Amino acid sequence: MFGIRRVPIARRSRLEALRGLYIHYYDEKDPHVRGLRLLHAWLSPPQLEQFNAKGHFDVIGCVTGRRYRILYGTQMNVHELDDAGHPKIGWCFVPEGRLVPGDVMLAQKIALETSEIRALSVAINFVPKRKTCGGSPILPGSSTTGLRGYLLQPL
Amino acid sequence: MPTQIVMNHNGDTRHYFDANDAAALAKAEERFKQLAGEGFTAAVRTKPGEVARLNSFNPNAEETIFFARLVGG
Repeated sequence: MFGIRRVPIARRSRLEALRGLYIHYYDEKDPHVRGLRLLHAWLSPPQLEQFNAKGHFDVIGCVTGRRYRILYGTQMNVHELDDAGHPKIGWCFVPEGRLVPGDVMLAQKIALETSEIRALSVAINFVPKRKTCGGSPILPGSSTTGLRGYLLQPL
Repeated sequence: MPTQIVMNHNGDTRHYFDANDAAALAKAEERFKQLAGEGFTAAVRTKPGEVARLNSFNPNAEETIFFARLVGG
């Protein structure tokens, strides 16, 4: 419905306006968008840039200095990276309760940046699939995000 | 206005309070203690993108975020 295609300038501006309305609407109503908004507000500028471009962001463990990649999702989405930036170990830990992806990812970021050992102590580790570590950009109109993907575009 | 943001299945619930209002402040501190008692982690932003855990109520924190106890997934 909102796939990427050429549109005339006048129509494009209407789409921009419509997009703004959707953003406003979802900002108030949709838990997923609320979660993403919150995550965006708490990411560092480099993390936000990385997340917008690639759909994941990296954090540094506060104790070990290890680099972790947090991918969009709510489970099995934290990968510890090796020196070459490849996934080495997967760590699965989430806050209790059924939270939306943005909230889960923010909690994981905070945990690794402030309480790394405690987070890892409760985590279940797994062997990550290498291909998933690159993440995939969350683009407008993609089948997994629909209109929500617009939130990741510059306003 | 200082805000306490509690993550939940709706995304989050926000509690705003006036730091100059003693009653509101007391209520916010009580909320902090209750959530901490339930195992929630509290954190604040120290500067853009940098976070710190809070072990006690900080009435001067502009935004405090709470999330539930971490468990293995």
